Amino acid sequence: MLRRKFLSLGAVAAVATLLPSNVNATDFRAEKPATWEANNSHEAIKALFGDISPIEGKIKMKAPKMAEDGGAVPIGIKSKIQVSVVALFQDANPRSAVAVFELNESGVFDIKTKIKMKKSANITVVAKGRDGKFYSHTQRVDVNPGGCGG
Amino acid sequence: MAKIKIKALLKKGNVSVKVLSKSPMAGKEEAELKKIKVEFITHMTAKVNDVIVWEASTGPFLSKNPYMQFVFNAEKAGVKKGDKIEVDWIDSNSNTAKKSQKIK
Repeated sequence: MLRRKFLSLGAVAAVATLLPSNVNATDFRAEKPATWEANNSHEAIKALFGDISPIEGKIKMKAPKMAEDGGAVPIGIKSKIQVSVVALFQDANPRSAVAVFELNESGVFDIKTKIKMKKSANITVVAKGRDGKFYSHTQRVDVNPGGCGG
Repeated sequence: MAKIKIKALLKKGNVSVKVLSKSPMAGKEEAELKKIKVEFITHMTAKVNDVIVWEASTGPFLSKNPYMQFVFNAEKAGVKKGDKIEVDWIDSNSNTAKKSQKIK
């Protein structure tokens, strides 16, 4: 058990040192395949960022309280924090990861997109700040069961 | 419909970019259900003056014909009106699309 823990810590450290030199052109699908296979947000976040304890309350999420169409639920996420990586997860579909965004130094954390949700579920956003800290926000979005999802 | 549509607007020092792409974004479950092939965008990049300002690794749970909006600081990126923003992507079948658009 201890050894496993130690190994995973090593992996996190390796990623932490790798990322800064490699800020641009990271294909997270190729680099972190486990993230895209995880079927819940918790595991997907762990696969992408490692064991992190993100700070809550700094990110604002704009999402409908009741989405009419589960096939295209508009999600807006923004914050004043300077970030390098933003990852979006949800628990409504077979696999959790939706998208991982990367911003360069000029990037402003203000992203909008549309996602599919088969059912009502939590949406989680995790961002890696340029200060090296992690930030997250979770919000529940209800989907109208009459709408046709993806 | 072209595969990519872009609108880029410089306002109050920030460039906001809207990108609409054409793809069914079908993962394996959805493809099976609808009897279509698996096809979704896996990676998208946005470049200005050959510098990547934004990119996304994506999965099949974005909506069909996915919509993306993002913002970057014009001064920090060294961008002015009339510069071109270039967006390209690759999908799960290694098909690619590319489009460039002037920043207004």
